[in-house]
This record gives sequence, C-alpha cells and structure tokens, in this order.
Amino acid sequence: MSEKEGLFGFLSRRRFLKAGLVAGGAILGVGGGGLLVLRGRAPEVEGLLVLDAHEYRTLQSLVEVMLPKTDAIPVDAAPMDLPRAFDRFLADEPEQNVKDLQKALVLIEFGPLVFDKKATTFSRLDPAERSAHWDAWAVSDSLLRRQVSLAMRKFFNLVYFDHEEVWPFIGYPGPSMKRLGKLTP
Amino acid sequence: MTAGITDLSKTAPPDSLVTEVCVIGSGCGGATAARLLAEAGHEVVVLEEGRDLVGPERTQRDAEMYDQLYMDRGGRASHDMSVSVLQGRVLGGGGVINTCDVVPIPEGVLHHWQSKYGLEDFSPAQFKRFEEAALGDLSASRIPESLVNEANNKLRQGAEALGFRGEVMVHNRVGCRGLGTCLIGCPIHAKRNPRMVALPRAIDAGARVFTRARAVKITKATEEMKQITVRTLDPRGYHEQRELHVRAKIVIVAANAIASPQLLLRSGIGNAHVGKNLMLQPQLPVIGLFDDRIAAFDGVPQSYAVTEFEEEDHAEHGLWGYRIEGIMGTPGIVSSLLPFSGAPGMAGMAQYDRMAPSLLLVPDAPSGRVEVARDGRLTIRYEQRSDHQERLRDAVENAAKVYLEAGAREVLVPTLPALTIRSAKEAKQARKLTFAPATAPLISAHQQGTVRFAPSERDGGADLDGQVYGTKDVYVFDSSGYPTSASSHTMTPIISSSRMLTTKLLTRI
Repeated sequence: MSEKEGLFGFLSRRRFLKAGLVAGGAILGVGGGGLLVLRGRAPEVEGLLVLDAHEYRTLQSLVEVMLPKTDAIPVDAAPMDLPRAFDRFLADEPEQNVKDLQKALVLIEFGPLVFDKKATTFSRLDPAERSAHWDAWAVSDSLLRRQVSLAMRKFFNLVYFDHEEVWPFIGYPGPSMKRLGKLTP
Repeated sequence: MTAGITDLSKTAPPDSLVTEVCVIGSGCGGATAARLLAEAGHEVVVLEEGRDLVGPERTQRDAEMYDQLYMDRGGRASHDMSVSVLQGRVLGGGGVINTCDVVPIPEGVLHHWQSKYGLEDFSPAQFKRFEEAALGDLSASRIPESLVNEANNKLRQGAEALGFRGEVMVHNRVGCRGLGTCLIGCPIHAKRNPRMVALPRAIDAGARVFTRARAVKITKATEEMKQITVRTLDPRGYHEQRELHVRAKIVIVAANAIASPQLLLRSGIGNAHVGKNLMLQPQLPVIGLFDDRIAAFDGVPQSYAVTEFEEEDHAEHGLWGYRIEGIMGTPGIVSSLLPFSGAPGMAGMAQYDRMAPSLLLVPDAPSGRVEVARDGRLTIRYEQRSDHQERLRDAVENAAKVYLEAGAREVLVPTLPALTIRSAKEAKQARKLTFAPATAPLISAHQQGTVRFAPSERDGGADLDGQVYGTKDVYVFDSSGYPTSASSHTMTPIISSSRMLTTKLLTRI
C-alpha cells in the first residue's frame, strides 16, 4: 500500500491507459516481434536492484542528452552512474510508483515510434536527434510527456549537481561547514 | 518508556501505549501543544514520522537532505505536477527546513476571519497575547544587516530605486553564521524552531516523543479513549515495519494541512469539509542574472522582502496581492527548478554564482482538496485560479523591473518555454505566461485550510476549539484550520494559534 504520491505519483494508471492506446496504434504497425527487434539487446548490467538492462540503457541515453559534457561544465556524467542512483532510489519507492515509472521508461524508449512515427528507439537515435526528441517532451501538448520530462529533469539535475566535481564550474565552493570549519551557534 | 526521544526504527516499541494526550506531528502546532500540555502536568505522547536529524548529520548536501528532511523524499507534488509541495518530515517539522521568516497574522486578516468566518477568538485583542508568546518562543528579531547577503541587497537596491516599499525581514535565528543552507537544515542549530525550543521543554516536562512513527488511523477504543494505529518505519523512513497502538483520551492532530486531513479521511473521521478548501499559496522563482559574482548561497538566503504589492485587508480575501522575497538554494535544488536540459541547462547552471533569485509569494483562495483512495494513496488536487495567475504575472513583471534596476544583465523566468527579460519594456512579456501544468516550477511551502475552523458544522471541519466536528476530543491544531491564507509565512501563525487552542483546551481538562 502506498502512503505517498512522490516524484512519480502523477503517473496514474488511467493516464498510461490513454498513452497506451496511442502507443498501441504505433506498435500495431510494427508488430510485437518487430518491437523487440527495434529495441535490440541491451548490455548486461550487474547489481541492479529494480531496473532491467533495457531500462538502464534508456536512462543512460537520457542522461547523455540531459547532462552532456560541455565547454561550460566539462564534467562527464557517465562515471557518476546516475541510472544506478535512480535504480537505488526506486528500490525504496512504493511498488505502484515503481511500476508506473517503468512504464514511463518504455514510453521514453519507444517515444520516437509513438510520437514521431520513426521506426527506431530513443537509445538508437543519434545524440542530436535524441536531444531534439527529448526537448520536445518538455513543451509537448501532452501533459503526460511534460510530467515525465519534468520528473526526470528534477531527479537527474538534483543528483548531478550534488556532485563535487561539478561545483568548480558553477562557482560553488561547497558546503559552508567544510569551508568554515567547526562552528557552534 | 520514560520522557525523551525514542527512535522506533531502532528501539522495539511496546505493542501498546496508553496516555492522556497523543499529539500527532512534532512541528510548530504539535510541539507547541505538547509543550504546554506537558508543562501543565498532563501525560503526553508525540508521534513523528520523520527522524531526529541533528548537528553534523545535516550535511548540507541536496540529495541526502531532501530525501531525509522532506515528505516523499522532496518529490511531493499536486495531482498534475503543477505545484511542488514542500513539507518537512523530521522531528521539529517545517521549522527545521524553512527560511525562518517570522510573519504574524496581519490584523487585517484577523478582522477578516472574525467578520466573514465568525472566528471570534481570533480578534486582534484576544489573539495578541498568544502571538507575543509565540514571538518569544521564536526569539524573533530583525535580521542584522551583516547577514543580508548580496542577492538580497540587489533586491533591496532595485526596489528602493523604483520607490517600492520593502523590509529586511524578522527571523528566528540566534547565533546564525550565515551558512546559507536553511532549506536543508541548519547544522549549528541557529534556528529557534520547535526542535530547539518547544520539544526540549515538552520532554523536560515529561513528554514521550517517538520518531519514525507513522500514525495511520484513529479509531474509537472506548467511550472515552481513542486508539491510534501506528506503523514504525525503517531508519531511512522508506518502509513500514511493525504496528503498535496508542490509546489516548485526547488526540491532537498537527501533521500539516495535507497529512492532517489525510489521517482524518483514512480514519473516516469528520464531516464533508475535511480535505476541502486547500490553499497551496504557490510561489514562483525568478532569477536576476548579474555579470558579477553574487554568491547568493552564502548568508541568510531570504532576508529582504518587497512588500509594496501586498494587501493585508482585502475585503473579499483578507491577505492578497503578492510579495517578492529573496531566496537561494544549494546547486541541486536550483538546477532542478531550471527549465533547461542539455547544453542550455549546463550554460544556465554555469551562472549559478551570479544568480540573485527571488520567490514571488502570491496568496491564494481555496482551490484544492486532499483525497485519499481506498488503497491509502494520497492525491493533492489543486487548480490554480485565474486571479492567482494574474497576480503572478504582475509579480513577474515587477520583479524583473526590480532586478534590472539593480543592474541585472537579464532576468530569467524559469518556465517552459523559458522567458528571458532584458529591459523594462520586455517585462510586459510576463503577461503571456500561462502556467500550464508542468511548465512552471511553482512551489508550495505554506499549505493551509483543509479542516477549516468554523462556528457551525455547516461551514467547516472543526469548531472554534479546533475540535473536529462529529468527534469528542479529536482536535486539529495546525494550519488546516485557517479559512483563508493566514500570512505569507505560516510558522508564527501556527505557533500562535496552537498556543491559543491549547490554552483553551487546558481550561477544560
């Protein structure tokens, strides 16, 4: 039983049913077996608590476009393994939130097919296409897509910018207690 | 078990506890009630879902602190994700994670409650002594100039140049060193909040405080006694572990304006008003971007308020208009509020140390409700009213003018699509903002109104003693009772009203 809504509580079953109908239309055109071919095999990942390898890969692909290494902040997010942080987060979320979130990951992965009518998946898009596709989620007419975009942005931004390696590039000297030494009121 | 704090994730509780008074929630309302009752010699048990997180355990790190100090790990939101709902889940409640603003209920609001809602006890003359006592609890004082940081000074400079009324705010810090992380707890305990004032005194007077104790249901045990079903949580507060029952003659629910009606609804207690009339008082951040380093993360994050546009005695609504208040957070939370992904997001955060952000605090009229499904799932329904949107657009326009006047290169309104304002003329673009769900980072820190106090059962969920209609000795002593927005910041109102309601209760028991 869930006590809480949480970051992903907006992902209601009714909404997914609705999105599923849209997805279903696109998927019918490809066929169930075709979907698996489209998605391909994801590399094995050791030690995941909740996610499977495909879901992990979707999140890796997402992090690549959300938090790229740039001139402004030349810090690669890959070594931080943010998808694994997400997996750990999910491990302590209520069961329904986890299920809903996994559906959201399926929707992201097949987003190019469902929303752009392209016979490919999110992880297989080249970085520029993937970035453009993901940007469209944030300003979509679909509330569900905007919500998924917002939830992902909140989680991954918060965790990424909590990493010390990033701070020199944003002018943050770190927690004041460490800077100022032991203080008492 | 003797007086003190017991963490039920670590100490096996008894199967049942019996007490005279059970207080649910350890924040401003609950801790105040527990203290006064215990000091008057009554037997008190306090239940708190959060843990007691103190001193260096408050690490000033985003991921860990939002996870441990906030309800739903910092992720609570309204049903369509239009408003992020921030609430404390820690011993001491919201006072541990707020920005320490001491803003009593304006007299205009008290008059409004009297004349429009029949809250006779809230007359300024009667309420004043409780408010003064609350200010004493808080060691309230004006924030010293030395703690007003550059970001708040920019807000002040711009406001003064434009002739807008404003003020350095009053706070409840003593010994503040300007560590800057008020939103994720003060590691040196400079906040004179319930954790540092009311709870220690309650414990000194014999109160027993249980943490990681989630109250899930109130039922009738006997004619006189209520039974509270409590589930203990694991040390991180993620999973329920075991169940115990607390029996009490008097139950005071003070778990905030979301969790209090949630508990009553789950228990099947109260009338049709319970859960309704929710106000979230949504706030929108805007960011002045400067060429020079501002370092808003150092010093008191919220010390200056532009009050020019605030109305305290609006005939229809009481508190109305809006405020513009400085604010700053640690990198994680700031980045999570920005509307960008990818390279634009990185470029945006690269300006973190040159940001001077503020929150546009716009009081609202009731337009939401708390719902609990059969499986226990909570839904916070909220529709932003058009009058709220209109004042918010006006606030964006004026905040942009203030920052530009103070020398900002540009002002970022972090909506989707993002709005960048570079001149006073461009500020009029704020008129086009729609605030569609999941396109604007609206934040709620002052939830109110879900068990409205009213002289008649027809008009509210609890009577003027805070007693929930249809019950005997089940009370609500938090901001759930307010019929309209009490204040721009609810800490002082909640302590004041809890003092008043507890004092009344003490005359009857």
